[in-house]
Amino acid sequence: MQWLDGLIQGILLGGLYAQYALGMALMFGVMRLVNITHGDLVILLALIGISLASTFSMGPWSVLVVLVVLGAVIGVILQRLILNRVVGADPLPSLIATFGLSIALQNAMLQIWSADTRSLEGGAIVHASFQLGPLFVGVLPVIVLLTATVLTGGLDVVLRSTRFGRALRAASADVEAAALTGVNPKTVYTGATAIAVAILGFAAVFQSLRSTVAPADGAFQLIYAFEAVIIGGMGSIWGAFLGAMALGISQSIGFRIDPGFGILAGHLVFLAILALRPQGLLGKG
Amino acid sequence: MTQAFAASSDETMQQPTVRVVRQTRSSLIAFAVSIALLVAVASMPLWASQGLIRDVVELCCYVTVAQMWNLLAGYGGLVSVGQQAFVGVAAYAMFVMAQLWGLNPFLAVPLSVIVPAVVAAITYGLLHRLDGPYFAIGTWVVAEVLRLATSVFGYVNAGAGMSLRVMSSYSPMERAVGISLLSALMLLVAVGGSYLLLRSRYGLALVAIRDNPVAAASQGVNVGLLKFLIWVAAAVGTGLAGAIYFMAQLRITPPAAYSPTWANVSIFIVMVGGLGSLEGVLIGALVYFVADRWFAQYGATYLVVLGLLTLVMALFARGGLWGLIQKVTNASWFPTRRILLEDKP
Repeated sequence: MQWLDGLIQGILLGGLYAQYALGMALMFGVMRLVNITHGDLVILLALIGISLASTFSMGPWSVLVVLVVLGAVIGVILQRLILNRVVGADPLPSLIATFGLSIALQNAMLQIWSADTRSLEGGAIVHASFQLGPLFVGVLPVIVLLTATVLTGGLDVVLRSTRFGRALRAASADVEAAALTGVNPKTVYTGATAIAVAILGFAAVFQSLRSTVAPADGAFQLIYAFEAVIIGGMGSIWGAFLGAMALGISQSIGFRIDPGFGILAGHLVFLAILALRPQGLLGKG
Repeated sequence: MTQAFAASSDETMQQPTVRVVRQTRSSLIAFAVSIALLVAVASMPLWASQGLIRDVVELCCYVTVAQMWNLLAGYGGLVSVGQQAFVGVAAYAMFVMAQLWGLNPFLAVPLSVIVPAVVAAITYGLLHRLDGPYFAIGTWVVAEVLRLATSVFGYVNAGAGMSLRVMSSYSPMERAVGISLLSALMLLVAVGGSYLLLRSRYGLALVAIRDNPVAAASQGVNVGLLKFLIWVAAAVGTGLAGAIYFMAQLRITPPAAYSPTWANVSIFIVMVGGLGSLEGVLIGALVYFVADRWFAQYGATYLVVLGLLTLVMALFARGGLWGLIQKVTNASWFPTRRILLEDKP
């Protein structure tokens, strides 16, 4: 029974990880770059949300709206000021630039919010649960999973059937050819980063409702997002979702084997996938 | 530089003989200075205080770790943010050999680099499947796995860490002599070894890979093998620095051994000093060392500045300080280029 519980909890945890992973899959697919500040932005948005909630006594859902909009704005600024200057075939400049920014962000957050762990007050919904057969399932984790599913489906539809989505896919296939057909790469890139960071707004709210955040936590979010993307298969939105589930389940089962083994189990599954199926679960080839 | 230009022209037309010049006047001076510095480091117990020895050993470790990162990123095209993996495993291997197996600790330091070499060889098999930026984060995952695994590994006292108590059987003088000689040896291997490597035909091949791997392969360079070898070599150098650093510390815990600070520092040193040059690493290490002594008291603010400086360098001055210096004066300390000179009879 505890294994079934582990499986269910793992899928629910995967819902949160999927929200980290979607933006990374999108940005890598379009620009072939990894934004090292990915996890730090989750923490930054979460800490801003917590401060907003306590200063203006806002509820979690109004905080969510603010953070998603703020995330999109941060995404545009990040792309315009930094990423547009470093995007290219050489991975080094973008890695180093965002790496430096990540150190700066982490320490700036440490200055402003101190090293304390904080969380967002969500009221009754945080502790509500319902019975599913012999198991108890939290309402909030189910909401997180549903949100992740809707976000993944929505992003998939946007990529498949909108004008912007076609431009994104064209730019990710061959940016120069796309530019020839009238796609402006800079606009596409800015849109992708804005969407990616806006999704992190959701992740920030749910992360700080479900557990706690502290300025140094960003590295873990970055690694989980990365592992989910690789497990699922690079360049696939539903792959990132599936990878997040696999990661959540591995960690959750691992924790039930031994509390010190949870995170490690996730990493080991990632390494096993890399060894046995490097193209990822949904990857082609 | 050379007397070839000064030679007077002759009226007899001949096939010009071409000479390859590798050394310049600045490089000969730098060579002499380097030898003097190496001797100074090796002889520290004769003239330096305990505190100074500790500082210099730390600086030598930074130079080495940064130089290894420079070899990877500046020449091998492999960007790693997980070099702390090799620092940690080598340091732990040294502690196990010296403290648990009773080996002479000064012998355990060079022996301990076998472990990072093996870890590097195994992980490369997995990591080389990852593309560009994903390779970098993959290295970070490896470091995290090793940190977490060490934290639950009872044989090395798990999360509580170990102390190098066997060092108490040596007098402070003996310890100072041992660690100074090891540091000098490490510098010789890391900087001198890199220099020799880059001057050799493998150095040419590495530069070719960095500039264009496909073109390099078409010229007969075995890109995959060379990348693998440079990855393992960098792990060995990084591990050596880790073993020496933690021998000086006398104590090790998983968070300290596998601290991401090692990656942060090497990236800062190389990016500020100058990617893809030996001189840049030395300049960057000195800048970092001085900044750390003067500004570390400002804590987080200092690190914000460090991070932003790395960002600015990546955006606007990819060649770092050495690149800026090179624009003013072209006096290379460790020239790896070949200069063709025409001998006029």
